[in-house]
Amino acid sequence: MSTAAPTPRPTPQPTTQPTTQPTSDHPRTPEPWEVEESPRRPRNNGELALSTLLLLLGVYLVIGTGGITIPGSSNTVGPRFFPYLVGAATIVVGGALAIRVLRGDQGPEEGGEDVDPNAKTSWRAVGIITLAFLAHALLINVIGWPLSVTLMFGAVAWALGSRGVVRPLIAGGIVSVVVWLVFVKALGVTLPGGILLELATGWI
Amino acid sequence: MEALSQLMGGFADAVTPLNLLFALIGTLLGTAVGVLPGIGPAMTVALLLPITYVLEPTGAFIMFAGIYYGGMYGGSTTSILLNTPGESSSIMTALEGNLMAKAGRGAAALGTAAIGSFVAGTIGTLLLALVAPAVVTLAVAIGPADYFALALLAFVAVSTVLGASPLRGLASLCIGLFLGLVGTDLLTGQQRFTFAVPQLADGIDVVVVAVALFAVGEALHVASRLRHGPVEVMSSSGSFMTRDDFRRSWKPWLRGTAFGFPFGALPAGGAEIPTFLSYATERRLARHSDFGRGAIEGVAGPEAANNAAAAGVLVPLLTLGLPTSATAAILLAAFQGYGIQPGPTLLTTESSLVWTLIASLFIGNTMLLVLNLPLVGVWVKLLKIPRPYLYAGILMFASLGSYAVNADPLDLVLLLVIGLLGFAMRRFGWPVAPAVIGLILGPVAETNLRRALAISDGDLSALVSSPFSVVVLLVAVLAVVGPPVLRRFRRREAVAV
Repeated sequence: MSTAAPTPRPTPQPTTQPTTQPTSDHPRTPEPWEVEESPRRPRNNGELALSTLLLLLGVYLVIGTGGITIPGSSNTVGPRFFPYLVGAATIVVGGALAIRVLRGDQGPEEGGEDVDPNAKTSWRAVGIITLAFLAHALLINVIGWPLSVTLMFGAVAWALGSRGVVRPLIAGGIVSVVVWLVFVKALGVTLPGGILLELATGWI
Repeated sequence: MEALSQLMGGFADAVTPLNLLFALIGTLLGTAVGVLPGIGPAMTVALLLPITYVLEPTGAFIMFAGIYYGGMYGGSTTSILLNTPGESSSIMTALEGNLMAKAGRGAAALGTAAIGSFVAGTIGTLLLALVAPAVVTLAVAIGPADYFALALLAFVAVSTVLGASPLRGLASLCIGLFLGLVGTDLLTGQQRFTFAVPQLADGIDVVVVAVALFAVGEALHVASRLRHGPVEVMSSSGSFMTRDDFRRSWKPWLRGTAFGFPFGALPAGGAEIPTFLSYATERRLARHSDFGRGAIEGVAGPEAANNAAAAGVLVPLLTLGLPTSATAAILLAAFQGYGIQPGPTLLTTESSLVWTLIASLFIGNTMLLVLNLPLVGVWVKLLKIPRPYLYAGILMFASLGSYAVNADPLDLVLLLVIGLLGFAMRRFGWPVAPAVIGLILGPVAETNLRRALAISDGDLSALVSSPFSVVVLLVAVLAVVGPPVLRRFRRREAVAV
């Protein structure tokens, strides 16, 4: 789709004609929170993919709704009515957004105190954190929450650039055991402690 | 004045030593977590939910009152002392607050924010106590069609009015509505979109989704673009508010409250619009303007508006069961966790609980004022936590909160998957609040829509049969159509000039 050249963000010129795309340009004076320009990125294939997925979700909803059993007692507004509505809305919104994105429209990336809008995306950090969290989810019932969450804590801190892994592991270990003691022994929340910790604290 | 006597009863329940302790713990925890950078009020409430799992409802809601106001206040401390943009409702406070801190007037900025929060919170909570019973008398008479209209209004308001890109807000809403469909149909008992996974038959837990979208999504998003290098925390020193500062602050406090409460109380609630309006108003009214160089009015007004809106949001929540902000949606989930369904009947069925909650809001608000200024040193230390540890810790508590709901590792996998979705949404500028609102209000909207249509035997005109629903639906349509039209109108004007 190279024909859909991304239109550069128009500068507020008095001759700008109103277009049919209300959100794609800002001829009004920018609100204070918009002053910080995000770095210009090429057409957003990621967002195109996400909106297409949304469109497909809508299609799935409409098709899947046909498979919901309608009990005999139910009248015109049975369990299929609302899912059809949601499915149709999802198709419309997903489709419209995909077209918008194809035309070069971009949403303002969410800011945050620790987000550097000019930094390059660190897929490495995202990948390590995802894997660490998944491993933690799979291990929790095997080795207990404190140990599995400590390993995750260490991996996440390391991925985010802490010095070494020993200190994060120690910090994570202390915090997780204290949190486990507070939540399980004092507050009565269900959380597997792992064999060792449960034996050691059985008397509490 | 029946409300006042009931409020006094609420105070009598709240002022037991144990309940005061709950309020104190809630306030401290809420502020401490709220101060942490990257954690907004919604995430604060979501992450602290598990603490209340074991308490009986009264104690839990007293604690929540403290967490709610504490989280709101904590956010403004962060935005004043960190020179980086934070959550949307405290951006306005940050503008002049940063500049004041830079000019060595950090203590005065924090002071006007703390007292402004107190003033706005007190007036807002008082208005809540007075308005809520009146709204309930009106609300008792409304039917399913009216409810559906209200839910629809909340949907479009949260998706289109608040965000920068209405279409992306609607996209987020659709995701939430889908997640809300997963599970067993309330009216007929049919399973829908459960993918034959038995755990999904009960639906997807709101806590899991909220923690995933807010905590996990945020952690991943920050991880992808982490600001490296030392953390710059600005000085909170300098002299406290002078006489002149007070003279300049009190009117913005009151004006901010006047903006904040109504906007919060409307189904088109949220704190972004009133804080912005308050900032713009103060800027226009300032005579010898030092706006742009650290004007105290620019901190006092938006901060008061923010807190008054927080109180206002509780009006539709407690009287109609209608959450209009992500934070309110999570509070609603907490209510439901105790088997309490907020709505017009809440004030009669759970009268003492509600009035104790409102009394606790007053108490928590006062505690904030007393505690926060002396504790500024602690908050500054919290701001300096090394970021790798902070985000690792956020994920640790996210895991704790989600696992504790059902003790099922599948919830953790779900948490990760929805967290990755939240990351993508943040990256592409899709607001996450509409998804949370859609998830929790979707089933409410569906139930009422089907009830309305069942009564009318499928006749769609039943949806516009009462004047109330007509007005509400018209406002909803305006909320969708209005902003683009207004924008184009303004553009024409700009062209003409």
